[in-house]
Amino acid sequence: MFDVHEMEVNFGPQHPSTHGVLRVILRIDGERIIDAKPIIGYLHRGTEKLFEAMSYPMCIPHTDRMDYVASATNNLGFVETVEKLMGITKQIPKRAQLMRVMLSELQRISSHLLWLATHAIDIGAMTPFFYCFREREQVLDLFEEYCGARLTLNCMRIGGMPDDLPPGWLDGVEKFVDKFEDAVDEYESLLTNNRIWKKRTVGIGVISPEDAIDWGITGPPLRGSGVEWDLRRAQPYECYPELKFEIPIGKNGDTYDRYLVRMEEMRQSNWILKQCIPLVKKTPAGDIKAKISRVVRPPEGEVYHSIESPKGELGYYIISDGKSQSAYRCHVRPPSFVNLQALPAMAKGHLVSDLVALIGTIDIVLGEVDR
Amino acid sequence: MHVEYPKPRWTDKFLLLDMLEGLKTTFRELFKPKVTIRYPEERLEPANRFRGMFKFSFDRCIACKLCALACPIDIIYIDVHDEQREVDGKMKKLKVLDRYDIDVKRCMFCSLCEEACPTKPKSIWLTTKTYELATYDRSDLYFNMQQLEYWEGRPEYAGLPADESLETKKIEGGTA
Amino acid sequence: MTQDLLLRYLIWPLVKFLVAFIIVQVIVAAMNWVERRLLGLMQARLGPNRVGREFGIPWGLAQIVADPIKFILKEDIVPSSSEKVAYFLGPMLPLIPAFLVFCLIPYGPPPTFVVTHVNVGLLLILALTSTGVYGIILGGWASNNKYSLMGGLRSAAQMVSYEVPFGLSIVGVLMLCGSFDLVHIINYQADHIWNLFPQLIAAFIFLVAMNAENNRTPFDLPEAESELVAGYHTEYSAMKFAFFMLAEYSSMMVNCCLMVSLFFGGWTMAINGYGLTTGVLRGMGLLGGILGALIFITKVMVFMLMYIWFRATFPRFRFDQLMDLGWKWMIPLALANIAVTAIVVLLGDQFDFQGEVVLSIAGAAIIVFTLILLLRPRAKVTHARRVSEA
Repeated sequence: MFDVHEMEVNFGPQHPSTHGVLRVILRIDGERIIDAKPIIGYLHRGTEKLFEAMSYPMCIPHTDRMDYVASATNNLGFVETVEKLMGITKQIPKRAQLMRVMLSELQRISSHLLWLATHAIDIGAMTPFFYCFREREQVLDLFEEYCGARLTLNCMRIGGMPDDLPPGWLDGVEKFVDKFEDAVDEYESLLTNNRIWKKRTVGIGVISPEDAIDWGITGPPLRGSGVEWDLRRAQPYECYPELKFEIPIGKNGDTYDRYLVRMEEMRQSNWILKQCIPLVKKTPAGDIKAKISRVVRPPEGEVYHSIESPKGELGYYIISDGKSQSAYRCHVRPPSFVNLQALPAMAKGHLVSDLVALIGTIDIVLGEVDR
Repeated sequence: MHVEYPKPRWTDKFLLLDMLEGLKTTFRELFKPKVTIRYPEERLEPANRFRGMFKFSFDRCIACKLCALACPIDIIYIDVHDEQREVDGKMKKLKVLDRYDIDVKRCMFCSLCEEACPTKPKSIWLTTKTYELATYDRSDLYFNMQQLEYWEGRPEYAGLPADESLETKKIEGGTA
Repeated sequence: MTQDLLLRYLIWPLVKFLVAFIIVQVIVAAMNWVERRLLGLMQARLGPNRVGREFGIPWGLAQIVADPIKFILKEDIVPSSSEKVAYFLGPMLPLIPAFLVFCLIPYGPPPTFVVTHVNVGLLLILALTSTGVYGIILGGWASNNKYSLMGGLRSAAQMVSYEVPFGLSIVGVLMLCGSFDLVHIINYQADHIWNLFPQLIAAFIFLVAMNAENNRTPFDLPEAESELVAGYHTEYSAMKFAFFMLAEYSSMMVNCCLMVSLFFGGWTMAINGYGLTTGVLRGMGLLGGILGALIFITKVMVFMLMYIWFRATFPRFRFDQLMDLGWKWMIPLALANIAVTAIVVLLGDQFDFQGEVVLSIAGAAIIVFTLILLLRPRAKVTHARRVSEA
């Protein structure tokens, strides 16, 4: 009876809310999305191929540049994989392990803060952006104090850490940790109960637990669907078994649940940091490196190792030929890339406005998607 | 653990308290101290370990090329020749630097070169707290040995640590 | 005689209009700076603070002058595939009604501070402001850009739907005051009480509808920058873009003036005839007039700041939710308000009590109750962490 007038709209790559250079080709009927087709590759830099051409320690700064808002966890994943390949995982000193945990939890907080900031501004709430960045700057200051960089940290080495903690760093962390929970409460006062925020997020982009597992979604989107799967628990690494924390999971698998899960994860990370501070103080200063040779030459073999990055399961797969100092093949399993594939299914039937909420809720970083 | 939040009461819903709560937050924030600074006049002091512009010391360098080897993107160019020189009354074969260039425009400030440097104190270091490196010409960012050592015509900033203060980089007690 | 008439009906109104217009436009221009500054202060940053520093002007106040200069000097880009005539008309159409309305608003005690005393002023204002939407549709369509088109359509649908609750919310006030004349409504409020109290629901609907009418947060869908880049003015640049801005801020100002006149007693500051009523102000001569105008402007500015406050706080509605809110909530609520007001007023007439007083007490009670609930210390969100620690 009625003609359906479809319109094709190019959403990105130059668009304010595609979080980088994601391009989505939308077929829309009025405002309703009939089909969304994400197109990636605008930020492809061939990182995996580069890894084949350089020695293992040289790769670490390059891993920073994949998920550039969570470089500490990228470093962690890479160095742990190489350590596993070399069979020295057990030799890492306690202090180095705790420092790695602290840095990656700080990074989780900073990454989630950036997610909240951009997600909120996508949905139109402007102010949480600035509040989140205020706290994120404090985390970055801590990073700067530890390793000298704020964003691309290059803060881990195969077999340990590059440097010991600078004096006063733990006090700085303590100060941040004490204040941070109130800050989270402040963000929540702007969003959590707000009826507009609820209207925009409840029931949007529902992923059922079965679908989430089938798609291979990991991280907060998976937990938002109610699957209790956190690699820190499921395949413990570093000293996570000794630390107490809860895995927040959602019920409905919608955008609101994913929001709540991430907010709770920030609190849990904060709690982990609180536990870490006295533990670090107990370990001897300067004991931050396993005794291994400077030249990293792992034996022949292949290994897959994954960690829980802020965005999900970050896995590295490395093949070593046992002769050279560089990997024969290195493959990265980035969480954003895998999570992004749920976008067309999530977006179908929603409105254009929901698409930006969905892109935000998956929490993609295009550097990681395209590598 | 399921994330659950207390359901708002009907009064809260009816009286729009959820919205007013947000308004209250932004209003309170109006009177809190601001965190931004007015950049060119006010500057933040970078941390002691801040990776800024390179500094190089010719006297300390032993021309071992380890930094060039460690660099992931190969932007350190070193030429060396051997020379017979008299040191302490004996003739000794020494390596002498001909060229020590860094293509800073490609640098990603990972500080692997500094870590690789075997001399003590380091002969190449980045902890100079200098971060305003923008130039009008790309070629201005190619630094040779002299430029790296003396920073001629380049801005130098207050708060630059003297060479001695490089000791801050050494391992210190973490419990402090 | 002719001269007298000319002076009375042409020259004086024109002069008054120009004076009012210039003052209002200066405020509108300044609003740009005020908005950015206030948003900044609410967002833990400073906002504009640099322009004019060289000339010793504090707080970046020269931004007010710098912005128009920049708009004039910028290149005016016209997309080659645009519909040229409509593209040019687009920014101008919303501007004309937005400016014209200023001659219908009473800024202070009459006759000096009222430009034209029209006895159906309110209707005329409503009629004029609702024409502003044409320019936006036209501009959005003529840009030949899909995002602009979507923005224009959103804007049209939104303005048309919110025109209804906007008009209906006023009916309650009209029932109480019995006139379309803004001067009469204001005097009535001075003699009784601000219409805010007996017509609290209407005031709330009016506030929501005026936000929606002006495409301001949380109803800024037409220009939703994270969805539609910039909505209907994506393709506009330089002075054409400035025209859209000017129209938007002018109509914000108009709506604030209406809000103040209808619900907050206009230039008066009186309750039950005590305080600064029109009579008292008139008795003070020109000084009283200026005082009245100042009171009026202050009240208007409070509402202008409220727009900004809302912008700093709320997320954005989705398009269908906005329509739901308009048709399923605001219009029934406005109708219910009319019914309740009518019943209470009629009952009051029947049983010899003042219906208005009953409504006022109810309104005041709601306000006080809300404030008490809002200002009590809230229980913090239960943290899972605390649960697991326990």
